[in-house]
Amino acid sequence: MNSLCLPLIAKREFIEWRRDGRLLIAGGLSLIVMIAAVLVNVQRQVVAEGKRRAAEVLDYDSWLKQGNRHPHDAAHQGMYVFKPSPPLALFDPGITPFSGASIWLQAHQQSELRFRPAQDATGLQRFGTLSVSWVLQVLGPLIVIIFGFNVFSGEREQGTLRQTLSLGVSTRTLLWGKALALHGVMALILLPVLIATTVAVLYASVSAAALSDTALRLLLLSVGYAAYVSMMVFAVLAVSARMPTARASLLVLLGLWFASVMLAPRIAADVAEYLDPSPSRVEFNSKMASALDAAYKRAWAKELGSEKRWGGDVPLDRWGRALQVDDHAGYTIMDQHFKRLWDTYEKQNRTQEWAGLLAPMLSLRAYSMILAGTSFYDHRLFSHAAERQRRVMQDIVSDDLVKNADAHSHTHGEQAHFTYQADARLWASVPRFSYQTPLAKEALGRSVVGFAVLLTGLALAIGAALWASAHRPE
Amino acid sequence: MPPLSTLDKLQRTLQGPGTGYLFTRVFLNEGRILLADRTLWLACGLLFLFLGYSLYVGLSQVRAREAVLQGITLRDAEKADKSITQLRRILAGHETPDPFSNPADPASVASGLGARHAVLPYLALAPLALGQSDMAPNYYRVTNRNKSTFLYDGEMDNPWNLMTGHFDTAFVVIYLLPLLILGVSYNMLSAERERGTLRLLLSHSLGIGTLLLAKTAVRALAVLTTTGATVAAVLLPERGGSLEYLFWLGMIAAYAVFWFAVAAAVNALGKASATNAFALIVVWVTLVILAPVLLNLAVSQAYPAPSRTELATRSRLITIGGLNRFADLLATDYRHVGKPQVLLPKDGKIEVAERRKAHLLIARQVDAELDTLLAAFEKQLLAQQQFIERFSLISPAAVIHEGMSALAGTGSRRYTQFTQQVSTYHMDWKAFFEVRILNGIAMTEPDFARLPKFSWLEQPATALRGQLAGYALQLLVPSLLLGLWARRRLRRYPMV
Repeated sequence: MNSLCLPLIAKREFIEWRRDGRLLIAGGLSLIVMIAAVLVNVQRQVVAEGKRRAAEVLDYDSWLKQGNRHPHDAAHQGMYVFKPSPPLALFDPGITPFSGASIWLQAHQQSELRFRPAQDATGLQRFGTLSVSWVLQVLGPLIVIIFGFNVFSGEREQGTLRQTLSLGVSTRTLLWGKALALHGVMALILLPVLIATTVAVLYASVSAAALSDTALRLLLLSVGYAAYVSMMVFAVLAVSARMPTARASLLVLLGLWFASVMLAPRIAADVAEYLDPSPSRVEFNSKMASALDAAYKRAWAKELGSEKRWGGDVPLDRWGRALQVDDHAGYTIMDQHFKRLWDTYEKQNRTQEWAGLLAPMLSLRAYSMILAGTSFYDHRLFSHAAERQRRVMQDIVSDDLVKNADAHSHTHGEQAHFTYQADARLWASVPRFSYQTPLAKEALGRSVVGFAVLLTGLALAIGAALWASAHRPE
Repeated sequence: MPPLSTLDKLQRTLQGPGTGYLFTRVFLNEGRILLADRTLWLACGLLFLFLGYSLYVGLSQVRAREAVLQGITLRDAEKADKSITQLRRILAGHETPDPFSNPADPASVASGLGARHAVLPYLALAPLALGQSDMAPNYYRVTNRNKSTFLYDGEMDNPWNLMTGHFDTAFVVIYLLPLLILGVSYNMLSAERERGTLRLLLSHSLGIGTLLLAKTAVRALAVLTTTGATVAAVLLPERGGSLEYLFWLGMIAAYAVFWFAVAAAVNALGKASATNAFALIVVWVTLVILAPVLLNLAVSQAYPAPSRTELATRSRLITIGGLNRFADLLATDYRHVGKPQVLLPKDGKIEVAERRKAHLLIARQVDAELDTLLAAFEKQLLAQQQFIERFSLISPAAVIHEGMSALAGTGSRRYTQFTQQVSTYHMDWKAFFEVRILNGIAMTEPDFARLPKFSWLEQPATALRGQLAGYALQLLVPSLLLGLWARRRLRRYPMV
């Protein structure tokens, strides 16, 4: 009998929401904002991806058609590679506005991603970027609060709670009924968003090969967000059941929302930075420069007989070899320093992910970015791939210099080193850069912590709701 | 002055005490009540705690960054001294220079050896609003290489942390201050009515407008005193900037007045306390959370930044063009390794490698073409900024954000001006060396003293004040309108 009551209890809540305008105003507005976010982001994604693909082709073509020149001059101007935007970036742009998507591959040094979109925006960017993920993470709990803050406490004030219970409906049934109503109203708002996102992803030209991968990611994202929303529903029910009045319930819920969505992320970032401090650019560069200097000297002394780089001790007809030695000596040092830097960032991010136990939005944020392919890990993978490409280019250039420029100097005189010019055949031997975004199953492995924290939060929220409804004030 | 007639005296007695007297009485009584029921203690205590933490965060960040800037300036000076010492040793015949680090060779000094940093100083109020300072660099290492080699770099930080933002005073002011204001003022009239004390109060000659104004004033005084005193006590002794602080306090006061006006307007509607609280929360979410994001969306749609992807590729194509144009110079014999005597100056002249001349000419051409491309970015960013200054009216949070960033010197406009001034300095730097490199004029010791120095030219104080006055008006005009509307609405206020 009790389970049959559930739809009735849920229906009663829907009638209330429809009557007091919440369904239309709060639900409708949320839906409009999220659909607008999908539309804006799909348009941006299509434009940005079109430009990226065009630039990728243009950049490599210009490398191939650069004409004859000294290979080291070619390596100095290098090439740009561009990070492809994953299809689900239109749902969650993640760190992309703050990390950039282009890397300059040039001689001698490993570069970082450049051109962060946030740098080309005004300070308002810091208020947030309109995306479905932002709306769900930040405003999602508020939407649940608006619908649910008075489901128990309001009824208690009106005196209808006692009447309902006197009809023989158990507290637990009432809780599940109200939970069903809140889940229902959220589904009513979110299902059109899910459909719109799916259509947008298909429109934003997902290749057939990537379709199943993207579908899996979208499914997992839906599960994660569903767990988050569900956690909010039970948390709201717990507070509403426990608070004596609707007003108190609203104030407590808003306080919790502000603390977990507005305060906690900033405090968690400060704590993470305190536990694993990240270096300034100057500090990072100067430490790496010192280590590189020492490594270069060691390698030059060992391989070329003098630790004085680019001086008179090593004749010009060995500068091809010298470049090769220099490059290889730098690789390990750069790897070590970038690894340390990125590990620091990863540790900071992991701290914030675990902070989700107190502020669930942080775990959801990590989970969402990983599955959307816009997390720091994706940024790191791309940076690795770009650096591999740079080294391929460098090695091809250095090998050619050893083989041809040094030999050219032998035959044409030592000073003729820079008169050697390579042609299109050498440029064509540098492969076109291609980057394969990691598969969903890999992302799934990395999203376990975030998901586990979300599930823990959900279990605690359900427990709290059950306890609060059983120990509600009369 | 003629004596009062009996009729006048009677009229005075019936009228009761003047508005000023009643305002003061309500103000004092309300203050006592709020202190007694701990509402003000709690609100001001929370404000004090959050402000304290935000000041700690802001000051630590700015101290660390200023230490970086000091280190940079110090290292530049040390490097210059080292180059002069080396030059002396070379001229005295005690040392043979290397091809790429020869202080007598203008090409070496113009590039890595003499490279100087252009530094943007932090202002006194920088700890209050970190703004764009965590992304936009406050320094660039300027050489004679083209500007794409240094001007595209940003500051280094964990992107997740950048996305989250800082717990700075701007955050506390923008988000928390209005919440606390609404928290202490959502029921200024409704609570009196719900307790049945409103009729009692108004049965005297006290007007409901005076009552609401006095209640608002006591809360405003408490909130603003806490904010002003906390910031002044922590910030001013270390950073100075008293005048800027007063402007900042003025902006904060205007922002607080806006939120009190919103609370007064909602109170004037005559609804229950719970309804007031709910309505005010909706207003807060709309104006503080949603409106700035929508404004940001509007500005990025109205004035989208040109594609950086295209800029990257265009920069490279321009460089390739330069390399092709000066291919002959690049492919000349290079005597500077095998014949070290060419590295030494003779009669004020030195043989600058043709390749290095080529690099200078390529950089000149690349910069000329890049300027056009970069101008498009600057133009668009300026248009975005102007758009916000015009339309931030829709969100007081955006207005105060812009105002605080401008006062702290961490807003987009100041960073754009910095890159513009760095571009000019870069041109000066190149011009200084161009004549020496192309004509093979050796560097001398006095030349090092004459190297172009970057000195940041702050925008005129009058311009900043004009900007701030605009922001203050954007806050005060809506406040005034809300206040007038509330006053009008109070005439129909339900007493029960």
